[in-house]
Amino acid sequence: MDFVLRVAGLEKRYGAVNAVQGLTFAVAPGEVLGLVGPNGAGKTSTLRCLAGILPPTSGRVVVAGYDLAKDAVDAKRELAFLPDEPRFFDYLTVWEHLNFTARLYGVEDWEERGKALLEEMELTGKEKALPGELSRGMKQKLSIACGFLHSPKLILLDEPLTGLDPIGIRRMKASLRRRAEEGAALVLSSHLLPLVEELCHRLLVIAGGRAMALGSLEAIRSRLSGPEGESASLEDLFVRITSGAGTEKPPP
Amino acid sequence: MSFSSAVVFLWLASSRNRLRLQLQRLRRPRYLVGALVGLGYIYSIFLRRLEFGGALSNVPPGVRLFAELSLVFSALVTVFSAWALGPDRPSLTFTESEVVQLFPAPVTRTSLLHYKLARGVLGAAMGALFASLFVGRLVSHAPGLFFLGAFLSLGTLYLHATAASFMRTRWAETWGTRGLVARWLALGCVLAAVGLAAYAALDAHPFPRTLSVPGVLRNWVQAVVASPGLSAVLWPARLLVAPALAQDSSAFLSVVPPVLGLALAHYVWVRLAEVPFEESAVTQAETRTRERAQRASGGVAKGRAVSSRKAPFRLSARGRPEVALIWKNLITRRRMAGGVASVLASLLLGCAIVAMMGESRFFTDTRRVLGPLGVSLAAMMAVVGPSVFRMDLRMDLPKLDLLRALPLAGWQVVGAELAASALMVGLLQLGLLTVGLLSGPGAEDPWLMTWWWPGGVALALLLPSMSLAGLFVQNAAVVLFPAWVPADRTGSARGIEALGQRLLTLMGSLVVSLVGLLPAALAGAVVGFPLWSSLDVWALPLGAAAASAVLAGEVVLGVLLLGRAFEHLDVSEDRPE
Repeated sequence: MDFVLRVAGLEKRYGAVNAVQGLTFAVAPGEVLGLVGPNGAGKTSTLRCLAGILPPTSGRVVVAGYDLAKDAVDAKRELAFLPDEPRFFDYLTVWEHLNFTARLYGVEDWEERGKALLEEMELTGKEKALPGELSRGMKQKLSIACGFLHSPKLILLDEPLTGLDPIGIRRMKASLRRRAEEGAALVLSSHLLPLVEELCHRLLVIAGGRAMALGSLEAIRSRLSGPEGESASLEDLFVRITSGAGTEKPPP
Repeated sequence: MSFSSAVVFLWLASSRNRLRLQLQRLRRPRYLVGALVGLGYIYSIFLRRLEFGGALSNVPPGVRLFAELSLVFSALVTVFSAWALGPDRPSLTFTESEVVQLFPAPVTRTSLLHYKLARGVLGAAMGALFASLFVGRLVSHAPGLFFLGAFLSLGTLYLHATAASFMRTRWAETWGTRGLVARWLALGCVLAAVGLAAYAALDAHPFPRTLSVPGVLRNWVQAVVASPGLSAVLWPARLLVAPALAQDSSAFLSVVPPVLGLALAHYVWVRLAEVPFEESAVTQAETRTRERAQRASGGVAKGRAVSSRKAPFRLSARGRPEVALIWKNLITRRRMAGGVASVLASLLLGCAIVAMMGESRFFTDTRRVLGPLGVSLAAMMAVVGPSVFRMDLRMDLPKLDLLRALPLAGWQVVGAELAASALMVGLLQLGLLTVGLLSGPGAEDPWLMTWWWPGGVALALLLPSMSLAGLFVQNAAVVLFPAWVPADRTGSARGIEALGQRLLTLMGSLVVSLVGLLPAALAGAVVGFPLWSSLDVWALPLGAAAASAVLAGEVVLGVLLLGRAFEHLDVSEDRPE
């Protein structure tokens, strides 16, 4: 099977702290992988390593067939990273951010795509606004629009619903689902377990930088021992796994 | 635990933890070296000069008079500002943390007021300490007495400003516009009285016709301020600064009681004038927090003008992707600071107006000034330009996540980031040189005439490369020493060790720039000297071209190496997840 993202033995150390330890997993086209774990589990570090922002201490990351260490530029061209705290260039307007992104990724029909994305993200009419003039939610939407402009094969999302209003959340979920249906692979980190449960095909639960569980919700549930294992909610499973109550072993 | 003891605990614990954190940082060699350099710098600049004993006799009386009058006028300006400037709201400012932690706490408004007054008085003590360091030795034999006197004066002024803001708030709420009019009428009367007193003093003591005799100016100033009207105007401020100016303990003790009484009266005034300040404090705290957050993320603080100028050119989706970064930075230059362009335009307009004022002599003289001025400014830009034009990695590194996620190799990011600043500085230099060269040397000296054009062409070839090299060194410092060089505008690192690190970085940049210039100078000499016999002064541009090519080559090589460093840049040591 051709995976869009393949990760093998990913490790990230900050001085003496092991933030990510030996993560190995893969994500197929059209698949949504949920990355869940308690605060400080290493989710953001993992996503930053996958996006090529942080150099991994060891391990291998392959995006759409390109090794992120050897062919970083080609790999990055195939992915989009949407951080929890969107960052923009202060002096570029909304429309100029799309123009900038188009040149970087060589998107020739960017104007039509950009209009459609702004429409989808309810940013029409804000084309000439500077980032400082946008609300938190609007910034999040602009970040998403820029990320989707080049139709990436891999989309990495860190808390994608932060700052969005209920309508924005609904649109965002529909948008992510559509990208997955169109063949993009998504890795989504969130503390919102209902969102993860609703959108994700598989889950990667990490704690202390280690993978505690990997698989579909049903598979994880069935692998868990205990009297209420079969009917446990994701929240129950999350608590059991991350507090060491479950008997789930880290995947090889 | 009472509120006062909680506050004392808060201050002591915060100070202790801050100190512990700073000491922990000293375990890292770079912070230790930085702290040593910073301490050495502070000692050499400030503490070494604290020779109060005997220093006074070396200070000219004119300087001492100037220092005394500065203190007096500063006090008067502070009082006037408290009544005339700023909005009509309580001047008490709280941080967001103080608002969140203290406002909902079970404490009275009076307790909050006392908390803030105590902070203000502590601030006055710090101000007095700095005043002792900077001006104390000019006006006093006794540093301890100067500190105590300055502390009393600044504390009283703080209480006055607080009381004035309360009074203004009260008047604005009670009388609205009528209160505003009444306040400005009163201020107008005071200003008129001061103006009349100044007029009478100057009328009685006209400005001396000649200043060639030593002491004439000082005697005139002393006579003016001693005139009845002005002396009455200055009396309250003189009373306030008298303890700081006391030369010994007995003089101090004789002048301090009125100031203590004044401070006490101001405290009572503050208590009587007290108005609700919570709403204003919350609004101000939120505004400051928002602005700080924007600055920390490399954003633009409120109040800073951002023009909506158009992009310098249309960016097509086709072509080399790194051009997008250059385009972005050129837009930034246009929008963030029309300042430099405006200044230059004003200068040129001014020159043009002067030149067109009719007399040909003006035109001749303007040309005489413009030539050397243009060339000098162009040369100066090679040193100043790299520090002024900062729309490169120094501005963008706080957004490292964004840059690193771009589908660009490290050398592409570094090269493109450098390009916009280099283009701007280079074009400015060439423009200045063109104006300067066309205006001529400004003198009929034959030697100067011979060198003017060859030298100018040589500078045109060399200066942009020198600026590029300077920009490269400054950007390299940010990438290679991210923990030492504050990339953002907030200058997040503070403390003595941070000061020392910046000094070291500055010295390092200068050394690297000079070392980088050596091969270029050598190449220039190798090319220029052999051609001198045949081309005479025109060998200079060829030598400059060779030097410029070597400099450019060094930068290209540096960009490739720095690109690799950028790809492996990991700032997580100082900025964990």
